[in-house]
Amino acid sequence: MARYGMLINTKKCIGCYACRTACQRQNDLLPNESFIKFHEFERGTYPHVTIEHVPTQCMHCVDAPCQAVCPTGATYTTEDGIVCVDHGRCIGCKYCMAACPYGARVHNEESGIVDKCRFCTVSALDGTEMCTCVTACPTGVRIFGDLDDPESEVSKQIAELNAQPIDGDLTNAKIFYVR
Amino acid sequence: MSENAITRRSFLAGSAGVAALAAAGGYMSFGAWEQACADEPETDQGSWSAYTMCNACSSKCGYKAYVKNGRLSKLIASEHDASAQGKICARGYGYPAIVYSEDRLTDPLKKNDKGEFEAISWEQAFQEIGDKVKAIIDENGPEALALVQDPRPNGAFYTKRFLDALGSPNYYTHGAACNLSKASGYAEVIGAGDFSADTANTKMIMYIGRSVADAIKPAHLQGLQKAHENGAKVVMVDPRCNNSTVFADEWLPINPGTDLAFILAMSHVLIRDGIYDKAYAAENVVGFDEFAAGVADCTPAWAEGICGISAADIERLAVEFSQAAPAACIDAGWRGGFGNQYANSGETARAIAVFNTLLGCWNQKGGALFTSGVSAGKLDEEKFPPVPKVEGKKAGSAEYPLASAGMGVNVYAASLAKEGKMKGMFFYNSNMVAGYSNPAYLQECLEALDLCVVVDIQMSETALCADYVLPECSYLERLEVPAFNGGLIPSVSLRDKVLDVIHPNTKPCDEIFKGLAEACGVGEYFPFTIEELADAQLKTVGLSLDALREVGTVEFPEKAFVYGNTPKWKTPSGKIQFTSEKCAAAGYTAAPTWVAPAVMPAGGNQFRMITGKQAIHSHTMTANCKPLMAITEDYDLTRIWMNADRAAQLGIADGDEVEVSNELHTGRCRVKVTQRMNPTAIFLPPAYGCTSEQQHTAYGVGLRSTDYTTYQLETGYGSTMAHEILVTVKKVGA
Repeated sequence: MARYGMLINTKKCIGCYACRTACQRQNDLLPNESFIKFHEFERGTYPHVTIEHVPTQCMHCVDAPCQAVCPTGATYTTEDGIVCVDHGRCIGCKYCMAACPYGARVHNEESGIVDKCRFCTVSALDGTEMCTCVTACPTGVRIFGDLDDPESEVSKQIAELNAQPIDGDLTNAKIFYVR
Repeated sequence: MSENAITRRSFLAGSAGVAALAAAGGYMSFGAWEQACADEPETDQGSWSAYTMCNACSSKCGYKAYVKNGRLSKLIASEHDASAQGKICARGYGYPAIVYSEDRLTDPLKKNDKGEFEAISWEQAFQEIGDKVKAIIDENGPEALALVQDPRPNGAFYTKRFLDALGSPNYYTHGAACNLSKASGYAEVIGAGDFSADTANTKMIMYIGRSVADAIKPAHLQGLQKAHENGAKVVMVDPRCNNSTVFADEWLPINPGTDLAFILAMSHVLIRDGIYDKAYAAENVVGFDEFAAGVADCTPAWAEGICGISAADIERLAVEFSQAAPAACIDAGWRGGFGNQYANSGETARAIAVFNTLLGCWNQKGGALFTSGVSAGKLDEEKFPPVPKVEGKKAGSAEYPLASAGMGVNVYAASLAKEGKMKGMFFYNSNMVAGYSNPAYLQECLEALDLCVVVDIQMSETALCADYVLPECSYLERLEVPAFNGGLIPSVSLRDKVLDVIHPNTKPCDEIFKGLAEACGVGEYFPFTIEELADAQLKTVGLSLDALREVGTVEFPEKAFVYGNTPKWKTPSGKIQFTSEKCAAAGYTAAPTWVAPAVMPAGGNQFRMITGKQAIHSHTMTANCKPLMAITEDYDLTRIWMNADRAAQLGIADGDEVEVSNELHTGRCRVKVTQRMNPTAIFLPPAYGCTSEQQHTAYGVGLRSTDYTTYQLETGYGSTMAHEILVTVKKVGA
């Protein structure tokens, strides 16, 4: 049993969208269906400007609001802490979309399912070749692994860089940000 | 294996079924799904993988493509491919959707008397084109024929061979609308059109008008990141605070079109203070004194008044460069700053080559390198008959003597159609009309031709002007000749056929040009298949097609670059030339000095219009690709960027709709009001403003900079001067 999570180091993010299109290809998503959203911040005044790109997606919260409101049990959490959607059970009611504070649930126009990031990159941990947000990122923004394993790269980097969930302890999120 | 993976696989296998059930108003539980899928075979017949190379830009990144049930699935970037280095960009993952686009051309088309396209057979297309080509040659000679292509492995081989066989010297790349001035300016000084910054070992690197985080070649992006993480000083000189500044120490928002003044002033400081590599210059340079005299007045204070960078910063940066030298350089750039932008782009390139020489950084660790290459050797002449050397000069070579001979001035060749001197043109992997210079003008040029043939996968603006449009199968449906790549370790990569041909009446480039050659009476130069050619080329370097198919990329470590060698300068004098007789003859000073841009904005509501890359698009190439255009839509990426103070003065708020106009064009778009822009310019994202209705995703989205461009060419060099545009901007309804 593991407790999977991710680190996103925005100091390395160039806002190039490679994670979005790689994810779409890996997960066979529709062209306008993206599990990842992008937020751009510019600070300072010309010419003393800094920029920051912050990609967000399902935070795989321990206290997942989307799961709490799901009327059919379609949203559930695996024993490894990955919040999943049983496509067969989803009735497309969009309660989860309203509940998610991160805007991470995405309505698939064709299937009607309200989907989201699947932490599919877990399947790449054994060396399986995949084009996920983690493996595709050209600048190494993302690290994925077991938060319960203090020796995992993700645990070590979270500690070293003091990475924090994007909105504090709001939902006990398992994606940690360096900003 | 986690449960999530099972969920994902089930979804992939059954998503179509879910859609059908949802449409029928029912739903199926996960358990029922498993049951329903239980009778699927364990290994599906339609799954395989092959190595190929991206076609979303000219970097051609290598990757392994997986096919599942006959459809493309995941892409895995090749670790050792020269451009990819283990990564591909957003375009790489998104662009394959074009393969399945409903806008694909499926049959050869001929324009009828009413100006409408009609499907015809390949036999008819080849026959009629062949007859017309022969008639043009009989009447006007082969020099009345020209071909334009944006080089990819097959295109570069087959189109050149085709034109050589016809006896025409008029073979052009897209260069005049890309990197012609850069390559040509460098060649005048150092005898080479390009060099590579040694980012892994640099102590100081300056990028001028180039953003490797927006115009991504993953290897170059990783180089920038490595330089930054190693603690090197990284300076970004760009009117726009581009996304590469994430890895930069400084952003210098230079006034567009004035990079030359900035570089001349830094050179002035190095020479004035005697802090350049004197021994290196003494040994390798001709024309030093003339250059030094020319920059004697190019003080930092003088440059500040032109380029907007403070004299103190110019002094400081020159000194920092000298301290970091020879592990320092100005990056070679690509298109952005001086590839084809301004009336002084070629001279800017010359000044950069001179400046790097003053640092003594050529082939030094951390400096600017002329890396090694490898290429196919001589092939068996029986099987691959050599084409006789073409006599005659490329059209435009007399008018634009500084233009790189390998690239030529493509739009000039087209302009000759209006004078009746050019009669037939071919386009391959090129959308000249929309992308190179003024579309209305170029359309008139092509319409004046007796014969215009366009090979493409979709109906481009250039294809709309054609008499015949020949449909190619896409890059994932064809094998190409191997791509030999230079680098610290040279390598060869393969674009293999990944997918079965989707539209049965499309053909790959090699078959199209072989067919054309046969119809034109020069088929004797094409008595081989692409497989035979690729295999023969690879055999000359100790490989085979089968061997390369197994691994995608092979490196040649025995030919690795070695630091410290002084290259053989391929210039007339055999030295680094701070002075050039050719430049002097073309109307410039022998040593580079200040040349003003062609136009300057007056202020008020007038701006210079500049362009540059977004990480998700490559000019008109990717605009009709749904996953990439969906990003444009989600993030409103067609907006022009405007400096916040200027916007405030004009009463324009973020997101406002504005009218952008000049004497050539008027159009509307929204504004991104930002601190990230030099106040004298607006930034118009490229790739948009498609006017081909048959590109249903791209049509009518956003503005196109070329619509605002006058057809005009840079003196001597022949570039299209893509940023010499003035426009006025006003808020709609104000």
